[in-house]
Amino acid sequence: MTGFLHVTARDLAAVAPEIVLSLAGILLILLDAFARPTRTSFPYLSLAALALANVVGAVAPGTWFAGAVETSALTRFVEMIALGGAALAILGGGAALSRDGKNLGEFYALLLWSATGAMLMAKGTDLLVIFIGLELMSIPLYVLAAWYREIPASTEAGMKYFLMGAFSSAILLYGVATLYGRTGTTSLTRLLGLASGPSPFAFDPLVTVGTVAILAALSFKLALVPFHSWAPDVYQGMTTPAVTFLSTVPKAAAAVVLVRLLHAIAPAGPGEPWRPLLSILAVVSILFGNIVALSQRDLKRMLAYSGIAQMGYLAIALATFSRDALEGALVFLAGYLVTNAAAFLTVAALSSGETEPKTLADLAGLGRRNGAAAALLTLSMISLTGLPPTVGFIGKLLVFRSAIDAGLVFLALVGVFGSLVSVGYYLRVVYVLWMKEPTREVPLHEDDVMAGAAWLLLAAGILVFGLFPRGLIDVARAAAQAVGSR
Amino acid sequence: MMTSFLTLDWLGADLLTTLLLLPSLGALVLAFLPKEAKGAILAVAVGFAGLTFAVSVLLGLRFDPATPGLTAFRVSKPWVPRFGIRYELGVDGLAVALILLTTLLTLCVLLVSCGQHLTRLKGYMAAFLILETGMLGSLVALDAILFYVFWEVMLVPMYFIIGIWGGKRRIYAAMKFFLFTMAGSLLMFVAILFVANVHLHRTGLQSFSLVDWTRAVASGAWRLPSGTEALLFWAFALAFLVKVPLWPLHTWLPDAHVEAPTGGSVILAGVLLKLGTYGLLRFAIPLFPGSAVRYTPVIAALALIGVVYGAWVAFAQKDMKKLVAYSSVSHLALVVLGIFAGTAMAVSGAIVQMVGHGLTTGLLFLLVGVLYERRHTREMADYGGIAARVPVTTTLFLISALGSAGLPGLNGFVGEFLILGGVFKVNVLWCAIGATGMVLGAVYLLTLVQKVFWGPDLVPENRTLTDMNGWELAGSLPLIALVVVLGVYPAPLLRLIGPSVDVVVQILRVKGMP
Repeated sequence: MTGFLHVTARDLAAVAPEIVLSLAGILLILLDAFARPTRTSFPYLSLAALALANVVGAVAPGTWFAGAVETSALTRFVEMIALGGAALAILGGGAALSRDGKNLGEFYALLLWSATGAMLMAKGTDLLVIFIGLELMSIPLYVLAAWYREIPASTEAGMKYFLMGAFSSAILLYGVATLYGRTGTTSLTRLLGLASGPSPFAFDPLVTVGTVAILAALSFKLALVPFHSWAPDVYQGMTTPAVTFLSTVPKAAAAVVLVRLLHAIAPAGPGEPWRPLLSILAVVSILFGNIVALSQRDLKRMLAYSGIAQMGYLAIALATFSRDALEGALVFLAGYLVTNAAAFLTVAALSSGETEPKTLADLAGLGRRNGAAAALLTLSMISLTGLPPTVGFIGKLLVFRSAIDAGLVFLALVGVFGSLVSVGYYLRVVYVLWMKEPTREVPLHEDDVMAGAAWLLLAAGILVFGLFPRGLIDVARAAAQAVGSR
Repeated sequence: MMTSFLTLDWLGADLLTTLLLLPSLGALVLAFLPKEAKGAILAVAVGFAGLTFAVSVLLGLRFDPATPGLTAFRVSKPWVPRFGIRYELGVDGLAVALILLTTLLTLCVLLVSCGQHLTRLKGYMAAFLILETGMLGSLVALDAILFYVFWEVMLVPMYFIIGIWGGKRRIYAAMKFFLFTMAGSLLMFVAILFVANVHLHRTGLQSFSLVDWTRAVASGAWRLPSGTEALLFWAFALAFLVKVPLWPLHTWLPDAHVEAPTGGSVILAGVLLKLGTYGLLRFAIPLFPGSAVRYTPVIAALALIGVVYGAWVAFAQKDMKKLVAYSSVSHLALVVLGIFAGTAMAVSGAIVQMVGHGLTTGLLFLLVGVLYERRHTREMADYGGIAARVPVTTTLFLISALGSAGLPGLNGFVGEFLILGGVFKVNVLWCAIGATGMVLGAVYLLTLVQKVFWGPDLVPENRTLTDMNGWELAGSLPLIALVVVLGVYPAPLLRLIGPSVDVVVQILRVKGMP
């Protein structure tokens, strides 16, 4: 632990993006307090901060802070997802928040800090660093969930998310403590050393209990059944641009931590009990999420249940845990970010005042009023269904392929069955958009240049990664290889 | 110079890629046109469909039936090299015949649509063009994943075509179509991934290429346990048999056909159903010949039920479109019977009938659409004795109906005769039951003509009925001409598909088919 006392410049360079975003967040809050007129420039300032963080994030792979922090292609991948997720939330959120007079500096600061936490979580190779990252990621999100504090649904969302989140953090700490008690370390690197050493602890009950506790806490962030119950309420009550971030970035970070942890505990590949456990989580999440989503009429709640199912597909890749599967999981996560952001940003453009319920009926006839918004939402639904030629198809192709290669044909079959069920609700959105007569006029906000830019980016992303997935797959492959290279 | 312009050689694209890109390019151009510019929308849509047709004709002219296997116009570029997924295209005679059918029918549908009243014209035209890319892609793709991509790409535009421009129960019909088709194809998707895994382990090569796969099958390299092979065969076959559709998987078809707008029905019956039988010929049988032979009795039994059931139910219909839809169930069942009979005669007949059914049933739906456009009803009882008022429609309808019923001299006869002749050599009982389909076909089709066009002219609303307009004629006449030409002189078609037939027959014979 003495290493922490000798922090070098290169150590700091490894967390430069985190430093940039933290400082930018503080700056935004100060500006909000002392220079109100600058508020209109907040979106641009935060985008600039994200861009800067992206530039300084390109550091050489290595371990820093005496082995507590790692940079690699994998952490870089999560960094991109976190920065991208925050940027998309800001691009789509600025105008939506302005409409309600909620364009406060805190919104941007909290988003930047949450992204910081997600990035740190992925970089941490010590369970305590991971815990700090997790908390740094989560606490801003609790606040963002209750952003519309005058609306009961939003305060409820904040409260619920906070209580459940705090509970899961406690479980995570309990798991870390148990692992420490048994092995004497919180470092994943040392755990890996012990696990691959002469006396591996494959079936040690304490190690298993500790890992299961951490797994449960991370499943909470992933919203896997049975740790999902917060998701629908939080999605519904949270301000929509922030849901763009919440529904993607924390899940990517949690998934990567889970991968690191499992690799450290069971370097030879997840045998008993991890594979059966993850398989059960996958199957239950896919079936529950898809079937319950069928009965939803609120768009955001429906997307929450769809998200549960989508993370079930991801859990298939985690249960498989081969190199190909991890590669597939990363492609799936990147695709999910683009696709899900497309859905939530279109919803954000339709919302004026969070009081308005965003039910499916509100979308009726949107295809005729705003073809671009309807087309993007349609594209997003097609991608979530997993139909070609979209990035959603590529993600599922890779995940199911790796599962079949590992002999887990059953999981792939459950996956395609879930996809078939999901047609029922994804296609209902398409139906409402194009084939249903509007029941009432919902105002639409088309004058938003930034959201327009985000839309174009997302539509291009969904299609380009779907038609030419090679580049994305290569990047994901390099990242997946970084898991085992320590 | 002209040909190089047509094939986009100046862009560096090959003939098949050009064929695939042109319709989508048309849809893209449409997206940038203003909604109000109806003339421009029609011109662009018909222009691109025409250009696609021209390219496909060029393909047909340049194609040499003697080219072995699927190597003609072969393109093979890495797509996702990491997993051996390739952008691999190629055609044989069977594919060329169906490509020509596809491009011609799409062009005719768009021409007819020009003369009819359609809301949201731009989207309608764009949907058909995207659909055309999907159909053509399924016909030329040699990589299994690429094939699956195009196969699924067809779903969404067809969902829109039925769901937006369809009849009263369009939403239900569109959803049913989507779910049935997707249920089948998702099983096939898992099977494709499984097969690729087997191929990798047995040969050490990562490949989704149909050419590699069939070669491995021929050399027995896969060594699949027969139980596994059976499961894989059924996973593929179900995807295709839903599309055909074979009884009892057919229930989506009457709904989809009745509710779809005219153009949708034409393409559905004319091309989409054929892709089911095409898939059987291209994937299910060559990849799993052992199981194909083993389960021939099962499939033949289902097909025979389908032949009789389809015809019987068609006979009971009062709605013209429903009648034609059920006639498709019957006719396609006969095609499946021909394919699984496995003799050269039966398989050639099946392919000829695929093309023939596309033309005649396409025409029947077009002409029913012509009447519907004017009267907004498809009930036979609402018509009667209108032959004198609409002589041109009557004539064309009669030719199509007779072609569909298998009158000698028209194309339906050639296909049905070859199928039944080929089946006769395999199993006389099958042939006898199959032949009842032909008899019943004549009954219900002639009843249809009789009830609608002949008899007393009693319905007053029909007094104002007008005959086909120029656009509708332009879309129907090429098809009528082919019905007659292929009926009198089918030799070019038979020569075109000959080598493809031999391949299938050879595969089945090796596995003990007579």
